[in-house]
Amino acid sequence: MEREDKTITFQRLLSDESYSSDLSSDSCEYYQTEIFGLLPSTQTHRRAHADDITHDQNERLRLDRICWNPNVPLRNLPVCLQDKRDIRDRQHLQKRSIGSWDAWRRSQQTTRRRLKEQVGRAVSGLLPWRHMIHRIEGQFGVGVKAYFVFLRYLLGLNLLYCVIIGGSVLVPTLVYRGESTETQNPDWSSLYKDMFVGSGVLEKTAVFHSFYTRGSLNGACLNTPLLFLLGMVSIIFLSIIMLVRRTVVGYKHSWITGKHFSSNLSYKVFSGWDFSIQSPQAASLKQNFTRNELKMDLEEQAFHARVKQRTLTQWVRLVLFRILLNLAVLCLLTGSFMLIYYAIHLQQSCTDESTECVMLKYLPPITMTLINIALPRIFTKISEFEDYSLTIQLNLTLIRSIFLKLASLSIYLFFFICADKDYQFCQFGQKKNTLKPSQHNSTILCEENEFGKEMYKLTIFNLLEGFFSAFCVAYPRTFLVEKFPSSRLAQILGNNQFEITLNVLDLVNSQTVMWVGVFYCPLLPAISTLRLLILYYIKKFTVMRCCAPAQRMFRTASSSVLFHFTLLLGLFMSVVTLVVNINRFNPGGCGPFNGTRTVFDVTNDCKEMLPNWAKSTISYISSEAFAFTLILAEVVILTSYVSRGRANRKTIERLKDMLVMCSSDKRFLVKQHSTIMRRRQRPR
Amino acid sequence: MGNKQTIFTDEQLDAYQDCTFFTRKEILRLHGRYHELAPHLVPMDYTNDPDVKVPLALIVNMPELKENPFRNRIVESFSEDGQGNLSFNDFVDMFSVLSEMAPRELKAIYAFKIYDFNVDNYICKEDLEKTLNKLTKEELTPEEVNLVCEKAIEEADLDGDNKLSFADFENMISRAPDFLSTFHIRI
Repeated sequence: MEREDKTITFQRLLSDESYSSDLSSDSCEYYQTEIFGLLPSTQTHRRAHADDITHDQNERLRLDRICWNPNVPLRNLPVCLQDKRDIRDRQHLQKRSIGSWDAWRRSQQTTRRRLKEQVGRAVSGLLPWRHMIHRIEGQFGVGVKAYFVFLRYLLGLNLLYCVIIGGSVLVPTLVYRGESTETQNPDWSSLYKDMFVGSGVLEKTAVFHSFYTRGSLNGACLNTPLLFLLGMVSIIFLSIIMLVRRTVVGYKHSWITGKHFSSNLSYKVFSGWDFSIQSPQAASLKQNFTRNELKMDLEEQAFHARVKQRTLTQWVRLVLFRILLNLAVLCLLTGSFMLIYYAIHLQQSCTDESTECVMLKYLPPITMTLINIALPRIFTKISEFEDYSLTIQLNLTLIRSIFLKLASLSIYLFFFICADKDYQFCQFGQKKNTLKPSQHNSTILCEENEFGKEMYKLTIFNLLEGFFSAFCVAYPRTFLVEKFPSSRLAQILGNNQFEITLNVLDLVNSQTVMWVGVFYCPLLPAISTLRLLILYYIKKFTVMRCCAPAQRMFRTASSSVLFHFTLLLGLFMSVVTLVVNINRFNPGGCGPFNGTRTVFDVTNDCKEMLPNWAKSTISYISSEAFAFTLILAEVVILTSYVSRGRANRKTIERLKDMLVMCSSDKRFLVKQHSTIMRRRQRPR
Repeated sequence: MGNKQTIFTDEQLDAYQDCTFFTRKEILRLHGRYHELAPHLVPMDYTNDPDVKVPLALIVNMPELKENPFRNRIVESFSEDGQGNLSFNDFVDMFSVLSEMAPRELKAIYAFKIYDFNVDNYICKEDLEKTLNKLTKEELTPEEVNLVCEKAIEEADLDGDNKLSFADFENMISRAPDFLSTFHIRI
């Protein structure tokens, strides 16, 4: 048999036959040959469209389907409904001839499958806001829908935390609360101010750490501090497991798409139209968007061609320019961090109770928010000058903004920790940290509460910012554009766009704040849940009332992986902060752990109660040798998975090659067959 | 179990439930929608499987399909005669495949049929050009259309015959991350 050229790439098979045009008589014959109609791949198409199939072959088609695997559910068959019903009837007839055991087994399978489907439907019916999100998807596309789905996911996560904290922390403390040591009457006059800052009345309520005292539940292994610790640790582990699972699933999905998916025009052509669009405006917008995207892709292609033609001098100039711009980005970042530092400094220097001080107490969050609003937009502008392709620009802006958000939060926490007292970690070189330690030691009874207050302030401030941006920025802008469309101002401002990236980053940021603060402000998940609920309605109002559908939507599959990954980064950062904080605070002031040396000492009493073998096992597990063994085992497992992944990738390539070869083999055989048939008929 | 509906027999509803991704309630709702399209044509009593077909022109005016540029091709692909006249079986089948519970392989098969305008089991360049023009409302210049079609065929064509067979199409669409979420109509 003649073999084609051996240079096989998985994109094309270059053979002598492949450049034939479709107009040649050769190819028409190919589809009309009898044997082509009998091929199994043709038989999966609808019988009405295969006009060349004769009637007896029709019968053969139907008979073939009896052999269809009964374990494949009928609804997955790609044949018309009448055929499915016929197959089903035939299966029912068959049931009478097969034994009762088989029939019972099959009916059990069906009932089990139906039950699973019903349960799945019931669970998905419980998801709130389905209709609203569906409407939003129809009007604004898949990208905005992804934001709301992410919001709903975070809401569910926070509700779960509330349940855990309620069960393990709040209820035991409330039920077994000891004698109240409060002698002074709560000062209700400054409640309004306290709501925002978390001091005064609020400080002694369940919101902050100091409320959770040991109480009367005082067993060795069952006491409120232990339950508190268990609750917090389980929150962290649960978050890790759920987030890692979500990230990995999304990453696997985008990894399967392979290396060559950067600007895949075929995806945009074939899966570009969103079939759930129902309004004419959204449809015309989608068409515009598709057209713009295709134009963008063609530009990118032209861009790549241009890149290939760059001379050496142009490259050198471009690289220098890019270095300059990156330096500018770094300068902006350092400048913003210095601003945050000064804001904290100012806040620390003001300790009286005047309104001015309350305002100053909000200065650090205000600075952070302003920076986080302004800088990503500056980054977008900068990346336009760097002369990268569009997808890389988008990803670069995303990465810089993520870095900015998380780094600014961690810098804030770092300076807050260091500005507080003589903490050894912050002593750079010989210069001792002399920021007024004595003053703080005398007035602060409970350092944990201070930290909790900071996180509480950040959360409240995020909510206020949501209100502000919706009602004082977005709505007036829409109002202006609608009522005075021809004014200069309206033309300059333009219509609102729902900035998906910035909003998702905002969600990630607030969730990180919640994780950092949950140990010291146990009601923070509840506050966060309320906040997310309110945020949903605010954002819904913004989107439906104030926004025009975005001109530039992003592909959810590839970017949502990045968002879940940043959530994971935020979680990691919060765990590190928690560990640092636990080490730095001397317990003994307040809260469930006073009297113990470290937070984990509450477990010592419980450990004493265990039998000897358990004690020795625990001491072995927490020793260094075991950690070393664990790390080694993880390395081995990881290596095996990585090599398996590599082998799979090679198999995929090989299967693609096989696919190519089989198609050409089939084509060749069909041609041979028709030639032979023709030769046989000719001598007549 | 509570309402005594007289549109279908229980046996028919069971059959529909097994052959599609819909529940009994949804099938009854679908029948209501089907009836709305042509109230004088579609009987309310389907117990004896009447042979009634709603013409293409009425179906493509449904709100779910009205704004879809491929509405004609969608309805034609699911009709038995290829002309777009749907019986109730075909109607249910169409929305079943387009629902969110249908698997990727099934959707890929029907997507291929929809994009194959000249029904030759291959997506050739003319099919692609028609697809593209419908997608962008003919706002691309002919050179751009040509470039896009060539690039798309080059990306997906594996056996080098300058058109996409079903194997090429399926291989390409299985890598498309948004296919399942965009190829979905909620009814």
